[in-house]
Amino acid sequence: MGSAPVRLAPRHPRPLPPLPDHTRDVIQAVTHSAPGALISVGVDVGGTFTDLVAVSNDGAVRSAKVLTTPGDRAIGVARSVEHAALNAAAVARFVHGTTVVTNLLLERAGTRVVLLTSEGFTDLLWLRRQERASLYDLTRDHPEPLITRADVIGVNERVAPRWFDGHTRRDAPDGIEVLHALTDEEIERAVAQARASGATAFAVVLLHAHVFPTHEQQLARALHAACPGATIAVSHEVLPEIREYERTATTVAEAYARPAVASYMHGLSQTLAARGLPEPRVMTSAGGTLSARDAALHAASLALSGPAGGITAAAALCRGLDVGDALTIDIGGTSADVGLIVDGEPLVERGGVLAGVPIALPRVLVETVAAGGGSLARIDVGGALHAGPESAGAEPGPACYAQGGTRATVTDAHVVLGHIAAGTWSSAVTIDASRAHAALERVATSLLRSVEDAAKALIATADATMARALRRVSVERGRDPRDMVLVAFGGGGPLHACGLAEALGMWRIFIPPFAGVLSALGLALAPERRDGVSSIMQRSDLLLDHALQQARGTLVRRLRQDHDALTDRVWARVRYLGQGHELEVPLFDTDTVAHLTARFHELHLSRAGFVLDRVPEVVGLRATLEGSWWPLRVQREAREHALDFAGVDDGLALDVRCDGPCTVRLPDATLRVASGWCATSLDSGGWWIERERTA
Amino acid sequence: MTQSTSVNSANSTTRFDALGITVFAQSVAMIAEEMGVRLERAAVSPNVRERRDASCAVFDADGRMVAQAAHIPVHLGAMPESVAAVRARSPRPRDVFVLNDPAHGGSHLPDITMVEVVGHPTHSDQIIGYMAVRAHHADVGGMSPGSMPFGATELVQEGLIIPPVRIEIGGVPQDEMLALMLANVRTPQERVGDLRAQRSACAAGADSWQRLFHTHGDAWCVQAISALLDYTERTTRAALHALNGVSGTCADALEGDGVTNDAIAVVATVSVADDTLFVDLTGSSGAVAGNVNAPSAVARAAALFVLRVLLDSDDVPVNDGLARALRLTIPEDCVANAKRPSAVAAGNVELSQRLTDAMLQALGDGIRAHGLSADALPAQGQGTMNNVTLGGRGWTFYETLGGGQGASARAPGPSAVHVGMSNTRNTPVESLEWAYPMRIAAYARRWGSGGSGAHVGGDGVHRVYVPLEPVVMTLLTERRAFPPHGILGGGDGRSGENHCGARVLPAKGRWSLAAGEPLTIDTPGGGGYGRASD
Repeated sequence: MGSAPVRLAPRHPRPLPPLPDHTRDVIQAVTHSAPGALISVGVDVGGTFTDLVAVSNDGAVRSAKVLTTPGDRAIGVARSVEHAALNAAAVARFVHGTTVVTNLLLERAGTRVVLLTSEGFTDLLWLRRQERASLYDLTRDHPEPLITRADVIGVNERVAPRWFDGHTRRDAPDGIEVLHALTDEEIERAVAQARASGATAFAVVLLHAHVFPTHEQQLARALHAACPGATIAVSHEVLPEIREYERTATTVAEAYARPAVASYMHGLSQTLAARGLPEPRVMTSAGGTLSARDAALHAASLALSGPAGGITAAAALCRGLDVGDALTIDIGGTSADVGLIVDGEPLVERGGVLAGVPIALPRVLVETVAAGGGSLARIDVGGALHAGPESAGAEPGPACYAQGGTRATVTDAHVVLGHIAAGTWSSAVTIDASRAHAALERVATSLLRSVEDAAKALIATADATMARALRRVSVERGRDPRDMVLVAFGGGGPLHACGLAEALGMWRIFIPPFAGVLSALGLALAPERRDGVSSIMQRSDLLLDHALQQARGTLVRRLRQDHDALTDRVWARVRYLGQGHELEVPLFDTDTVAHLTARFHELHLSRAGFVLDRVPEVVGLRATLEGSWWPLRVQREAREHALDFAGVDDGLALDVRCDGPCTVRLPDATLRVASGWCATSLDSGGWWIERERTA
Repeated sequence: MTQSTSVNSANSTTRFDALGITVFAQSVAMIAEEMGVRLERAAVSPNVRERRDASCAVFDADGRMVAQAAHIPVHLGAMPESVAAVRARSPRPRDVFVLNDPAHGGSHLPDITMVEVVGHPTHSDQIIGYMAVRAHHADVGGMSPGSMPFGATELVQEGLIIPPVRIEIGGVPQDEMLALMLANVRTPQERVGDLRAQRSACAAGADSWQRLFHTHGDAWCVQAISALLDYTERTTRAALHALNGVSGTCADALEGDGVTNDAIAVVATVSVADDTLFVDLTGSSGAVAGNVNAPSAVARAAALFVLRVLLDSDDVPVNDGLARALRLTIPEDCVANAKRPSAVAAGNVELSQRLTDAMLQALGDGIRAHGLSADALPAQGQGTMNNVTLGGRGWTFYETLGGGQGASARAPGPSAVHVGMSNTRNTPVESLEWAYPMRIAAYARRWGSGGSGAHVGGDGVHRVYVPLEPVVMTLLTERRAFPPHGILGGGDGRSGENHCGARVLPAKGRWSLAAGEPLTIDTPGGGGYGRASD
């Protein structure tokens, strides 16, 4: 499977209006928009910093970084807006990334939820999937569910797949039969019990509701009538998919988080409105945006949205370079986030786990590993050197920060090797090389090696952890990393990029611009996006063409509502009968079932390496409705005279080429170009690095 | 026999730097992990892809295990014997073997192990390693659907016996061998799918292993492998060092072999000396008539698992170095040392659990008696895999059920989990009802079944099956009479129970079930830790 040659950014992409002002720092760039330009604003609220990026549709980009205000995060958001001195009247879109749901689940701080579920199956949340929390640590347990056992109400009703048609047994079930009807008396009893509980949030999850929603609908209607104003999450709406445990857990999480999301979005809307700014949109785990109102009804879809922004921006910047397939790594202080870009878009998959709660909704694939700049060196009893998983964190931080840390970190290793220059950085961090050296010396002494050897080994050890995650993420999806570009960002990304690429046999690296605020940039650029799934559960030889297209049409209409401008894309989830892992096969509105199965066989061959002489089964559909991306056209400014390049990218590093080994100081990070690699500054910002290939 | 000596004197002068040990450990772990991913993605049967009853491992030219993808502990360190059996058959590069014979590297017949012989990337007649993939196949023929028969007294009753045979010679598929295998199983289509998935996993591993040799050169790889195994041994022995002088014995029992209900003694004596763990099964029953026997590889896997738990660390990679710190003694005539023609189907799943129980308990008691703390060693868990097989016309359903884990000094015992030598996932009710003419009438936690204590044991599981057509059901369960023990005053977990309607069923047996007749399984709770009033 060869890859198309990558074309670098055109030298002078498009003429842009003259820019009246410039600074010498890409990240802190404040370029004034032409009058009348419309602006999209992305604000990413992180644990420490709140980042703002404003992208004008004429290409101007400005950013601001302020401290996060943990008490009321809306205050920090408002400050970032003030700091950026935005012209509120020109702001067309305001997109927000929030960890409010993430924190809620981590801290188990959501609303009390009462679960109504099929009698006989009220313990599903406590049974999980039966695997233990750790293979070898027999004392470790899974986190507790979000609700208590007393808050589960069993409802007498039962439906199941129908296996017999008259007296003839078939080799697959045909539809659903009602074994035990849900009576009015039972509805009344269950709803009365629910109301008497005093709870204000309810989850309704019945077996097989993904193909037979009637009983859930009846219960939900009665609950609405009995408890006006209550939060009610229903499984066939939240996640109409087979597998009762994941559907139950996700639906409960939805009810658990909804009230907090609604009140947070309401407060933020008011704060912004007072400043003349539009109603905020929110980024979902799937990397798209929802209106404040929609977000409050899709609370669980925000749970894993934290890292989605950065990958979304990376994908947009990759498209600008005609890069289709890429692996991304965002290396921070304590951890690294790995993602995958396929055909210019972040890979979106279903399923994820947060704080022990499965959230089986679409999400931008991100795998987090405990390796970062703050990962501490450790020598185990067998004499092997490890990097992490313990981290020096923000307090005390690496030894070289001189804030009290004495143990060697990966960052200290970089300082010792001269990859990170001593002195004061724009983020107000001062690097003290002597402390880094002293910390590494202790490690080197126990290893009976030189300080340099110890530093190199520590970096290689951290690289190995991250490389394994990068490889896992790609190989699990049938992708070969060697065919892809490595996109490295975050404080440590540009330092580790060459080492990681070498470990994975990759030969092209892209270091994106705006690395310090990439997540916020992704928010500003992300399109509106509505995701949905539906269930079909039919073998392909019994599925009629019109039934397939009808299911497609129904799903798209349900998602579209009045959003006419959005473009729809639909995938069918198909597997061979008996398989448990589905492949997502594109499904167009002109497709017959035969088209679909042909495409499935082809895809299976390319992913698994073989096809089976078995009937494919269509499990369900997934649809995405997407608006357009906010345009981004960035370009380094021309300078009048060519200057000597002194290893510092001041934003004006045009036409610079450097051969490794060397380092380039970026605004908030250091780029290390290893021996055998060559880095070129991109006109559109950022750097392109290629391995010099030997025959 | 193998070419490892020529590998040693190979083409490159690059030396391995011991500082890179964790980097190398990560890269070989990555190979095993990638094999596991390929297997799971491509497998057809629920047992492999949903329940992950499979393992993948990488071996060097000398047949030493270098890395294993951890899915199921019962496969832990059990595959070296498979590779040894292959190496005894004059393998050539690009040969692919399959085997399931317990006397030649197998465990029980449903576990089919595939071994690919990996050739050097440039000197293709030279062997650089072996890729092994073991998967539990849902049927390999024999007297009952699912090939986990009740009442078998000879191995031939349990299914097709496959000694190490080549299904590819030098990369050329031997279709007739495959045809012979498929003619002897009940669900040939599914077997083909799973075997292909195994083949694809082996190929992925072989490719990465060759790339490693290609990139670093032979000398570097050989040194790195030795350094990694030495490192694991060193780490293991360092942990055992503090326990020198510890000794303990535990006498436990299995509840019948499927022929009689007589208790079968399982006795483990453990001790630590010279930084080595000694495990001796002397005192255990001799081979029995029924099928709870197991080949010695299963006892070895149990001992390695207990050793790995004892290390109580995330760092230690699982490879041949771990096994070097273990000395296992098994009497010649022993239920845990099965020889032809003993039947073994249930030994792999149930004797393995009891061996683990006895070893963990003996070690925990020994450590505490020595005045040390054994925080990582819990009270006994459910000690069974609760094997349930239901077979109707043209279909077979097999699953195992979780139960209570024992409580420990650190915490209460987890509930509804697989313990000891198993760690499969459940079959979702909705998937099951969609795939088989069967319903689940109830599925719940068996509240209160964990033993009492300062930390209570974990609870078992309650599950009721109702077939929609007449079926034959086979149960291989344990801990129905002798409950899991608590420690330091903690109460015993509640024993498991099997019912058909109101009728109590024994721990093991095969029965016909009419359409609509409910089968109820209640799995055991785990033992408690410490006195409740403490």
